[in-house]
Amino acid sequence: MPATPVYIICSPRPQVGKTLLARLLSEFLLLKNGNVAAFDVNLKEPSLLDYLPKVTETADVIDTYGKMQLMDRVILDDGVAKVIDLGFHAFDEFFKMTDEIGLLKEAARRHVAPQILFVADTDRASARAHEMLRGQIPRMNLVTVDNEYVVRGELPPAMATGRLFRLPALPGFLKTYIDRLNFSFTGYLRREKDSSTELHQWTRRNYIAFRELELSLILQRS
Amino acid sequence: MAKPAVVVVGADKGGVGKTTVSRTLLDYFSANNVPTRAFDTESPRGTLKRFHPDITEIVDMTTTADQMKIFDTLNAVSPSVTVIDVRAGLLSPALASLRDIGFLDAAKAGQITFAVFHILGPSIASLEEIAETAGFMGGAKYFLVKNFINDTQFFQWDQATYNSYFHRIKDATELTIPKLNEMAYEQVEVSSVPFLKFVANKGINDEAANYSFVLRGYVRHWLANVWSEFDRIRLTDIVGSKPVTRNSEK
Repeated sequence: MPATPVYIICSPRPQVGKTLLARLLSEFLLLKNGNVAAFDVNLKEPSLLDYLPKVTETADVIDTYGKMQLMDRVILDDGVAKVIDLGFHAFDEFFKMTDEIGLLKEAARRHVAPQILFVADTDRASARAHEMLRGQIPRMNLVTVDNEYVVRGELPPAMATGRLFRLPALPGFLKTYIDRLNFSFTGYLRREKDSSTELHQWTRRNYIAFRELELSLILQRS
Repeated sequence: MAKPAVVVVGADKGGVGKTTVSRTLLDYFSANNVPTRAFDTESPRGTLKRFHPDITEIVDMTTTADQMKIFDTLNAVSPSVTVIDVRAGLLSPALASLRDIGFLDAAKAGQITFAVFHILGPSIASLEEIAETAGFMGGAKYFLVKNFINDTQFFQWDQATYNSYFHRIKDATELTIPKLNEMAYEQVEVSSVPFLKFVANKGINDEAANYSFVLRGYVRHWLANVWSEFDRIRLTDIVGSKPVTRNSEK
């Protein structure tokens, strides 16, 4: 029985594509598994809850009670994949907490597989945050996301080692299209008969990449 | 047979976390396989007894009968380590009693190992007790314990004041007990189990419990920091035991 995955999508910077990635991943997991539990830890950014209200709940890590409500759910090996869209404001506090409470050790004990999906940017805050994560998170649990729309070129060398997930850029007009609150990637795949459209190919490519991510997780643990 | 060791934990002010420190000591000795007995002087209802019922007896240190129960049995019984949680406000009188019965002389003569953990509060009045307590400390190990139960700074921001209290006593060793998350502390209180059992997610009778993973993590992290202080002062050596490799370090 594979471990229950927990995907933590994070960055110390706003507007790098965390929620977009969380939407894609949540919809992929919902399509593949039939269910997913998503957690929206955001204050003011356009949020996952608005896009996927049926599978998303809000969470916060500002106080101990909020941390308990989130993490005591996330650590359960219930077979339901979890996606955490971690707002930039909560980045430091979240990883300070996970280090103190020993999330990775406890997860291993409970057959839960955390995957940190760090959405890269080229600024110093991102570089420092990535360095911190490299020190805290084992290589097999850390994936650096190269969102081409944000990075626009080469990833910083320190981030380019390790596991990578490339999120290709979409043209501006398509980005506007998918930003609508009622847009669903899976719904689009089902509705759009022409599979050669750019958005169709982009979505399928990402879904295949998620599947590869899942497979690599299974292979690591076996 | 090992030399008997007596560890007194006391404070001249209430609410500074004295019994919390006593509990961490008992857990530390347990994790290091040091057989220990404890006396809780919060007669008639002791907090220490609630958390460590199997090894703790409630006594009234002001009565001769209970003084005999503690000190007349030091050489006679195992375990060889005795922890005494002295009621708030009674540290100096307790030490005076120990002086009067010759206990401090026995410690000075090396017949008994004697250590005092003086739990300090963040007030000048509390710090002024240091000098008074220090007067009893010939032949004993004296530990000044800064227990950060809130955001107090113990005057670290004012070096002159800090030095005038903390560096005045030769051979006194400072210990720092960091602040434990309040909710974590409260959940341990409600559970009525030792810190170690709470971290292990066990109930009073070692049954599986369902404590919050987050709160257990905070307690584990805090306890590790506290125990690293005890390791730093070589507490197991002081009480005459060999340290063991604890599970968390394997």
